[in-house]
Amino acid sequence: MEAGINQMSQARRLAAGKLRFFDAGIWLGRATGFPLAGELSPEAIASVLGRSFITGGLVSHWRGKTTSAQDGNLALQAALSNLPENVYTIWTGLPLYLAEPGPLPGQGAPPEKVRGVRVFPKSHNYPLAGWVIGSLCDWLIEHRLPLFIWHVELDWQSLYSLARQFPQLNIVVETQTQKILYHTRPLVALIRQCPNVLVEISNFVGAGFIEYAVEEFGAERLIFGSFQPINDPLVPIGMVIDAEISESEKAMIAGGNMRGLVDKVQP
Amino acid sequence: MNDPFIVDAHAHLGLPGVFFTPRSGPNHLLQLMDLLSIRFTVLGCDHTTLHEGAGTGLPALRRVHDESQGRIFYLGVFHPAHGPECLAALKESVAWPGFAGVKLHPSFHGTRADDPVYEEAWRFAAEHDLPILAHSWSVSAYNPVQRYSTPERFEAYARQFPQVRLVLGHAGGRGSGRHEAIRMANEYPNVYLDLAGDVFCYRLVETLAEAVPPEKILFGSDFPWIDPRANLSRVLLADIDDRLKRKILSDNAHTVYGIQAES
Repeated sequence: MEAGINQMSQARRLAAGKLRFFDAGIWLGRATGFPLAGELSPEAIASVLGRSFITGGLVSHWRGKTTSAQDGNLALQAALSNLPENVYTIWTGLPLYLAEPGPLPGQGAPPEKVRGVRVFPKSHNYPLAGWVIGSLCDWLIEHRLPLFIWHVELDWQSLYSLARQFPQLNIVVETQTQKILYHTRPLVALIRQCPNVLVEISNFVGAGFIEYAVEEFGAERLIFGSFQPINDPLVPIGMVIDAEISESEKAMIAGGNMRGLVDKVQP
Repeated sequence: MNDPFIVDAHAHLGLPGVFFTPRSGPNHLLQLMDLLSIRFTVLGCDHTTLHEGAGTGLPALRRVHDESQGRIFYLGVFHPAHGPECLAALKESVAWPGFAGVKLHPSFHGTRADDPVYEEAWRFAAEHDLPILAHSWSVSAYNPVQRYSTPERFEAYARQFPQVRLVLGHAGGRGSGRHEAIRMANEYPNVYLDLAGDVFCYRLVETLAEAVPPEKILFGSDFPWIDPRANLSRVLLADIDDRLKRKILSDNAHTVYGIQAES
């Protein structure tokens, strides 16, 4: 039996290595709501990613949610010199009409290495609506930057309206920080009706979800994310490498789709 | 393809009304078992039985066992609101093929795990040399009923019935419950932990492997809530010895649930 285990392990190592995972969900800073989670330092990113078959990705900072958008963005700026070449950042955004002090995304060119913006409407107390964050959405579209949002930070009706109002804006619905499972009905309706909505898969783990999504919507709608170091990246990696889909579809989910979005960003 | 040898020690069947799932039936489960070299699965229950207790769904689960050619085993849910009815159904089914133990879900049933109402379920398990699989979790800010199932609430019964093998499903969850689950797995020879569900904590397999004896950890999925593929690779690719992987993926479940390889 140990031989079978070794064979299965080796096959997965090879598969994971070939897929060159690109992780949209790497987190620096101290997590809230996960008392047992460790903290990842910028200096440790390269070795930690390598251990989990991940070749690059997008890093965020918890402080952007817990303290303020600006503090999170400052922390990411400070970490830049320690980030591997193929690791980029997701800044936290706010509505632009208040002209709050920075650093914030939304004016001029995207800051160095920023390849996405995340909003926390519930935590930061504003509605997810075009009349509040429309200017930020316009700026994101201008620079072809995707908008990231945790599903626990949104209400589905508002996200549907926003996605319809800004059809050129790529919106990545992230499946943290609680089960997305209980929201699969609105999520599926949203993906079906809004071609600009993508789903990050760190917690997209219900039985057969990957095959269902690929068959119904196409592999181009799924983005690999791990939510590490809170979660184990081997969870979504296992979902992808054992999925009953083609190798090219696996490669798109593992990293091709997110790398494509990164490459599109306009200065 | 390997000969199937893995035991998924914690799964369910049926349509859970609270979310959409494209795959939840016995045929879906068997397809995944074949894909992943899973030889046997232990069903905590189906969703009807979880809601209504052992008196409702056990005949259907027996059919699932038969139709799976003995690969899918099942537990009987003791619902504290329907104690006498459940106990009667458990007694009737204890000798049925595929019947493998008792399931408790204090959070779902809104009754603390240390409530006296559960004593008859523990006594039944003790009298018939059966294991108990219990939902366990940590105190949760957004799901208050989880406080009914924190590991330490099972402790008095685990001590009172040392002959009953208690599996703390989900290994106590993602917070303080984990520490309690580890403490109990070390302190009580009859307490085990399973990996089922979305306990996706970073390097959990390695953490538990260092914290509890090797015979105390069981692989589980929580199908259809969670696809077995979510938890399988984290065991197969964990930085632990292959002999320990074998215990987690197979041997420990055979011991706890009394599953015979020739079944």
